[in-house]
Amino acid sequence: MIPAELHYTPEHEWVRVTETGTVVVGITHYAQDALGDIVFVDLPAPEANVEAGGSMGEVESTKSVSELYAPIAGRIIARNVDLEANPETINADPYGDGWLVEIEPDGGVDVSALLSASAYVALTAAG
Amino acid sequence: MTVSADSVRHTPLWDRHLALNATMADFGGWSMPMEYTGTVAEHRAVRESVGMFDVSHMGTVLIFGSGALEAVNAVLTNDLERISDGQAQYTMLCAENGGVIDDLIAYRFDENNLMLIPNATNSDAVVAELKRALTDTEVNVLDARDDHAIIAVQGPHSAPTLHAIGIELPEKYMAFARSTWNGSPVMVCRTGYTGEHGYEIVLPASGAPQLWDALSGAGAIPAGLGARDTLRTEMGYPLHGHELNAQITPVQAGLGFAVGWAKGTFHGREALTSERESGPARKLRGLIAAGRGIPRAQMSVVDGSGDSIGRVTSGTFSPTLSTGIALALIDADIADGAQVAVDVRGRHVDFTVTKPPFVESHVRD
Repeated sequence: MIPAELHYTPEHEWVRVTETGTVVVGITHYAQDALGDIVFVDLPAPEANVEAGGSMGEVESTKSVSELYAPIAGRIIARNVDLEANPETINADPYGDGWLVEIEPDGGVDVSALLSASAYVALTAAG
Repeated sequence: MTVSADSVRHTPLWDRHLALNATMADFGGWSMPMEYTGTVAEHRAVRESVGMFDVSHMGTVLIFGSGALEAVNAVLTNDLERISDGQAQYTMLCAENGGVIDDLIAYRFDENNLMLIPNATNSDAVVAELKRALTDTEVNVLDARDDHAIIAVQGPHSAPTLHAIGIELPEKYMAFARSTWNGSPVMVCRTGYTGEHGYEIVLPASGAPQLWDALSGAGAIPAGLGARDTLRTEMGYPLHGHELNAQITPVQAGLGFAVGWAKGTFHGREALTSERESGPARKLRGLIAAGRGIPRAQMSVVDGSGDSIGRVTSGTFSPTLSTGIALALIDADIADGAQVAVDVRGRHVDFTVTKPPFVESHVRD
């Protein structure tokens, strides 16, 4: 359940670098499974500037709330607004239709600051 | 019931929950299932078909001896003379200051025999208080929790499901029937805490796994304490420790219907009568989200000027309404329909004050 082509954060988010150099961000299968039924998503405002590691919203399930962190610094250029009406899409398809935001990075994308798929596997296996 | 080495207690159905791969959590010292497949699906199963809950962590207290009914009626808030033998009643045990030690269901067998079902975490306190109050009588108080299991079967299909496995049902709401199933004595009461037509079955611990399996075979969907909480919150039903506690009285919680005001005596009578006459400073109300956000217990409720007018006692996402709902203790002068806000981690989310239930009750259907 951990796509090899994506990058990951210790906060259980995934990062996909697009052909145009922007990044798409979501939460992992592991994260959605731990949260349980997701019932509310609060996304950053359009055009908001986010800092690497800074808070950019919330995902809330029937049992707990989890903060979203920007994996890289940049500007929000797209938001998955369908999640406001259908937050359960994150549970059903965390790596696809359940994506959260697209960020235009400040400068280039440095994926060395993120986890590889194998490193993320090791992280979740360790609990 | 077994007590494991780390002293977390298990119900007789604990291994069934593990076999179903339930998410287990400590609830008042008991290892209980929070959810099996997911809280929202389990909630919907109860609203639309039939779900079953293991609530064996709740207490089972037997009260017997000459004059038991009269003696207990002088302690608990509700009036046991309002019901007949074979009926159950929602009632409370209050302290002299009017605070609530526990809310519970009383089963009336006859003038000398009753059974009480207190909340899991308050069972010991209820037993201790009743023993103290009934010291100088011929009435005995027996904590029988370890010998019993309780399974709640709730939802519009609950009656046909129980019929299918051959369990005898009481007809009227809050009535109970005693019979035998699979060699075990069973007591089936038409009650529950979900707002749906449903039953609670009390039986010996040894018979519980077979009953659980039979109900599962008949189509009842296992539902955890997560769904139990969203279901009761949609109905505005209080949960002790949230809407009721040693500081929150039945008058504030809007539970005057469960107080026998005309009775000569019950614990807390003087304090509660006085508060009822002067009017409580704060009252329990419903809040339904007008904006986007999920309220949670302890969040502050503020008025249009940003001044605090109370706090949330229980809050959740309502799977039926697909929006945030809350029960909140707020200033008594706030009218239904008023616009207020809840401070959700620093963000003010708009809510409308309303009178629960948030969802239509079907308990008498």
